[in-house]
Amino acid sequence: MNLPHNPFAQADGKKPTCMEMLQVIIDGEATDEQQEYFKSHMDRCLPCFKSYDLDMAIKRLLKSRCCGGDAPADLVEQIKLQIGQNTAG
Amino acid sequence: MEEIVTRQNYSEKEKNDIFNNEFLPHINSMYNFGFRLTLDRDDAKDLVQDTYLKAYRFIESFQKGTNAKAWLFRILKNSFINDYRKKTKEPSKVDYQEVETYYNSEDVNRQITPDLRVESLKDMIGDEISNALNSLDVDFRTVIILCDLEGFKYEEMAKILDIPIGTVRSRLHRARNLLKEKLSEYAKSMGYKNTES
Repeated sequence: MNLPHNPFAQADGKKPTCMEMLQVIIDGEATDEQQEYFKSHMDRCLPCFKSYDLDMAIKRLLKSRCCGGDAPADLVEQIKLQIGQNTAG
Repeated sequence: MEEIVTRQNYSEKEKNDIFNNEFLPHINSMYNFGFRLTLDRDDAKDLVQDTYLKAYRFIESFQKGTNAKAWLFRILKNSFINDYRKKTKEPSKVDYQEVETYYNSEDVNRQITPDLRVESLKDMIGDEISNALNSLDVDFRTVIILCDLEGFKYEEMAKILDIPIGTVRSRLHRARNLLKEKLSEYAKSMGYKNTES
């Protein structure tokens, strides 16, 4: 079978692994051509299909659970005070 | 990777404008980054304060309107390595040769944690994900913070961390597999069995 050109292939012609392709996709680093290729690849690759859902779920969970918490209320004031003292000195 | 720095000549008003409008809006992200690196709220506060003081001191190396967040994260990361890490004498535990070898091997296509399923993540509403992240070695933790929490692109991460993009990708790949292993342990402790669907 004549496979289409793989847009993830590196300059040296090295064939990318599923995990390498998946990472580029979930991190939003893929070109339009790479996204199209991966969509059709996922249709025939069960590990990629399953990993995609899992990796995206973990990424969303990290964003929603680990980003919270504002800096202490007095931090900006302390920084500005310190800068004021440094520049005055 | 070193870039040629063109020094700017800002007036006091311009310096303050840059500081207030381009640097300070990132303080919450900076504090979170500091906390995730040091795992201590007081140390995070000191680290962020020190970073902002350095940013102000070196403000003429910053070009107005460019990527302030990446610039600040880079200063914070360097302060952490040069000051905090030295102080606590915490050495890097990451064997990068091992990482590279692993990433370039055939094993990379193998599913590391087949027993972790999306369904088991839905019950992780507590601190499991946060604890799993915090338990990773700091160098692995850092790439996940920069990519997944803060949304930096690989190229920005390479500049922040002073490493090639290929290393960003391989470290991120390994970090995610380690995170999945931790999450898999949590899933098992929560009653999810080895359930490859």
